[in-house]
Order: sequence, then structure tokens, then C-alpha cells
Amino acid sequence: MDAMEKQIASLVADADSVQLAPSPLILWLKWMAIAVVYIVISLLVLGVRSDVWVRLHSAMFLAEMGVLVAIVATTALSASLLAYPDMYQRSRWTLIPIFMFVIFVGVIALAWQADNPSSPPPVHSYQCSLTIAVLALLPAAWMFYSMRQLASTHRRFAGGVVMLSAFSIGAVTLRLSEQTNSIIHVIEWHYLPMIGVALLGVWLGKRLLKW
Amino acid sequence: MVKTSVSLEMQMQQALTGDKRAYADLLRDTALFLRPYLSKRLSAANDVDDLLQEILVSIHKARHTYDGQRPYKPWVFAIAHFRLQDYLRTYYADQLRSATELGELENTLPADVTNSDFSYESISGEVNQLPEKQAVILAMMHEEGYTAKEVAAKIGMKESAVKVAAFRAYKILREKLSK
Repeated sequence: MDAMEKQIASLVADADSVQLAPSPLILWLKWMAIAVVYIVISLLVLGVRSDVWVRLHSAMFLAEMGVLVAIVATTALSASLLAYPDMYQRSRWTLIPIFMFVIFVGVIALAWQADNPSSPPPVHSYQCSLTIAVLALLPAAWMFYSMRQLASTHRRFAGGVVMLSAFSIGAVTLRLSEQTNSIIHVIEWHYLPMIGVALLGVWLGKRLLKW
Repeated sequence: MVKTSVSLEMQMQQALTGDKRAYADLLRDTALFLRPYLSKRLSAANDVDDLLQEILVSIHKARHTYDGQRPYKPWVFAIAHFRLQDYLRTYYADQLRSATELGELENTLPADVTNSDFSYESISGEVNQLPEKQAVILAMMHEEGYTAKEVAAKIGMKESAVKVAAFRAYKILREKLSK
């Protein structure tokens, strides 16, 4: 017990008053506000597609964008909870993105069916994935930096969710910028890469969220 | 006497404002209720102490993530479980690294590995204290007179695995008997 008492004494000696971490709600609101500003600035740089108002009157496009924005929101919420050792004792809420992804797959499947005859795909391909990845860099870096100030006990899951959130921000931006109606192109080069991004996030989370 | 959860939360709230006495009491109480939790999951008392100290350090590092507005114990157990998993991962990785490959061991075994240099009857008490598989193998080989090949066929193991198990059993018995 002597070693334990020494350890306790050393920790107590180091213990001054502490600035509490923000609640997950505050953290989430901050991230959402920054995401909105970031998307606006990115669209000012990249330009908004000229047919955006026409597309926003299309039910399928609106549904797709709505669910994509919901993915940004729910993954960010999940990440904000996962930043706490006990997930702020709201562990079930961290699984909400799974439901959003199921809905997203359903919406994309309906959009694919509705795209008949298929719209011609653009000339470029992987450039879209690269653009989204570049757009996602800053949001991902910011979220990882915020989470490192806390203490996640589910680093891999948290990392995966952070990368999905950041990539979704990039996907929303590009979808409002790139003038393509080809849902096949969008599925192949905008959304399927999310799988690889999530796996990358799992790897990054294990390394970047150590404490 | 371990305090109730409500007291622990108040102690933590006081500790977060810089009350060192409350913090010391809280850490002692936390160690008190974590020790049985770790003892059930780790065999060596030294390991329990080491891990408990590591958990207290983690609690210290992460205390800014607890605001006293929710139950204290789930927060602590989340950290304890996290560090326990890390510890066990490292422990089993070390075990795997030092474990001898079956094939490598087979190559270094002498041909007469299944012959022992003591009589089975004299050490049957110690044999019964061996792990079950090793005890069964030695009993079949020395009481019932089966060869390693026959034992392997009967209990569904490879012959080399039977020889390795017998070799390890003799090693344990020699160490016990030499004490």
C-alpha cells in the first residue's frame, strides 16, 4: 500500500483546479458551426453549380443532400460523445450514424432507380475522390485535435467516425459544386470511397487519440 | 468503509475546484472499489497494484472530462476497463512472442523424449496436479502403456503435440521435485 499512497500523494500534489471540458453538446455545436462556415468558404472558392436551384427542387437530390447533411451531424455527434471515457453515459447515441447510413443507402438506391435513362457521367473520375479527401483534411484535423484534448476509450471507433464526418463535409461541398447528374458517378467516386476512409480513420484513431 | 456514489461525485466536484484533501480521499476510495474488480481479472497481486496505479494516473489525466453531473462509477470503470484491455493486450502479445512454435520445439526434442527418468508411481500425486491434458497423457503413457502415437490417436492430437505436452510435463515435474 506504500507505493499506492506515494502515487496518490504525487497525483494530489499535481492537482490544481481544472478547467472542465465542454459538454458534448457544446463540442458538437462548435463543430457544426465550423462545418457550415467551412462549406460556405469552400463553395466560394470552388464555385456553386449553376443549376443548384433547379436541383434543389428535385426530390431525390434534396433527399440525398438532406441525408448527407444528417450524416455529417450524426457522425459529429457520435464523435463528440466518443471523446469522453464513458461516452458521457450515452453510449447508444454513438450508434445513430449506423441508422443514418442505412437510410442513406436506401435513398441512393432510389436515386439510382430514378436515374432512368442514366445521366451521362462526367469525363473525370478519381479526381472527385481526391477533391473530397482534400476538402476533408481540415475538418478531420480540427476534430482530431479537439478530441485529443479529451480522453477517448474507443479510439478506433472514434477515429472512424471522425473521418466519416470530415469526408461527408467534403462530399456535401462537392455535391453542391460539381455539375453532374450521374448518380453512378457520384456513388462510385463520392460515396464508395467512404468505406476506405472509415478504415483509415480506424487506423488514425488508434494512433492519434492516445492519452 | 467505501462511501456511496453520491459522496464520490461530490468529492470529485470538490477536487476539481482544487480541494486536495477531497481528491486524496476520492483516489483512495476509487482504489478500494477498483481493487476487487481487477483482482478478479488478473492473477498476480503485483499486476493488480501496477495496473491500479496506472488507472489512477489515467483518472488524474482525464479528470477534466468529468463534471460531477453524472454518476462517477461508470466514468471510472470506463477508464479502468480501457486500461485493463491495454494491459491484457500487451500481456498476451508478450506471451505469444515468448511462446515456442510447436514445430521448432519438435525439432529440438531428443528421440527418447517420452522416456522419463523417474518412476510414475512415485510421482503420481504431482502428476495429478498438472494441467488436465498433460496429466491424461502421462497417465496413458505410463499407467496404460500406450506409445505417443497411440495416445495421439486416442485423444485426437498430433503425435508431435503429445510429445511436446509430455516434455513440458516432465519439465514441470523436474522443477517441482528438485525444490
